[in-house]
Amino acid sequence: MNKRRIRTILAVGIIATFATLVALTFVSNYPVPADSQQYLARPLGETGASNRVAGIYLNYRLLDTLLEVLVFSVAVLGVRHYLQQSEGMSLPALSESEVVQTAVGFLSPLALLLCTFFAIFGHISPGGGFAAGVIAASGLLYMAIAHGMKAMEARLNPDRLALAEKATLLILLAFVLSPVAIGRVPLTDLLPKGTPGQLLSGGSILIYNILIAMKVFVGAWAVIAVFAQHRGEL
Amino acid sequence: MAAIVAFMLFGLGILVLVLRRDLVIKLLALGLVNAASILFFVSIGDRPGARAPIQLPGEIAVLADPLPQALVLSAIVVNFAILALALVFVMILVERYHTTDSTRIEQEIAREIDEEETPCP
Repeated sequence: MNKRRIRTILAVGIIATFATLVALTFVSNYPVPADSQQYLARPLGETGASNRVAGIYLNYRLLDTLLEVLVFSVAVLGVRHYLQQSEGMSLPALSESEVVQTAVGFLSPLALLLCTFFAIFGHISPGGGFAAGVIAASGLLYMAIAHGMKAMEARLNPDRLALAEKATLLILLAFVLSPVAIGRVPLTDLLPKGTPGQLLSGGSILIYNILIAMKVFVGAWAVIAVFAQHRGEL
Repeated sequence: MAAIVAFMLFGLGILVLVLRRDLVIKLLALGLVNAASILFFVSIGDRPGARAPIQLPGEIAVLADPLPQALVLSAIVVNFAILALALVFVMILVERYHTTDSTRIEQEIAREIDEEETPCP
């Protein structure tokens, strides 16, 4: 049996398994599994966040989210470590057309504004820290495409940003552990929950969203910058 | 409907992942498989006539299940991490062997091992 046939059988096997899984999902507990219904049945004031998704991943399942942030940090660390070891290419810088430069001048501030909005209002409307960080990083990526990586690096040093990323992670962990200082269990939300639907509500969720947005923004930019450095230009 | 689209995208991604030999195409297929999983998770949280799970106090409405959406965030972040790291490894392999063909890279590595094992005359 040649290699290609084995691969085909493997692919068909995986797809068949997945199809069975899909079929079982629809046959068994669908439409509402009992466990997830519990979250919607809980009172809104418990987390204080009208965005139920934010309430789950930044309150009930905060530990999962912290580990997620850690995975992101490890990825940034790995990318920087391995790319700085290899030699890299140096492609000549190509200047972009005036159309792109004008469009970027309009889109980048908009991306940064959206980032701020999603981070601050993530607990009362769609959005959240992860989305906000990625939007801001793409705004900077537009600018880097239009004005060149060198100009961007002069303004935002990737090495300092990588340090800033670690510092944000440290602040986040310190914030999560801070209840220990007054004899409470870590991850306890000490801030008042407020009235759901208002800006100052949801306890610590607002702070977590802002910190995660900063971390993801800085981390994603550090990854983009190190890829661009390695290649020479975007 | 969305679950069927997710299933088709997943199948396409797996087929490309296993059958194509180009490492960059494999990474793109991995991204497709992940996007399909995310779509599947979001689709199982849906209910007839459901709104996005954003609720005001005292409001009674049919909301989409927020739990799969919260879980999918982990999948997105882990996918980013895997793709970024895998891309770096592909770049290192391409720099060393000047090809993105996985079979040729395997052959080159096997040849290198053979050369190392053969004692010099």
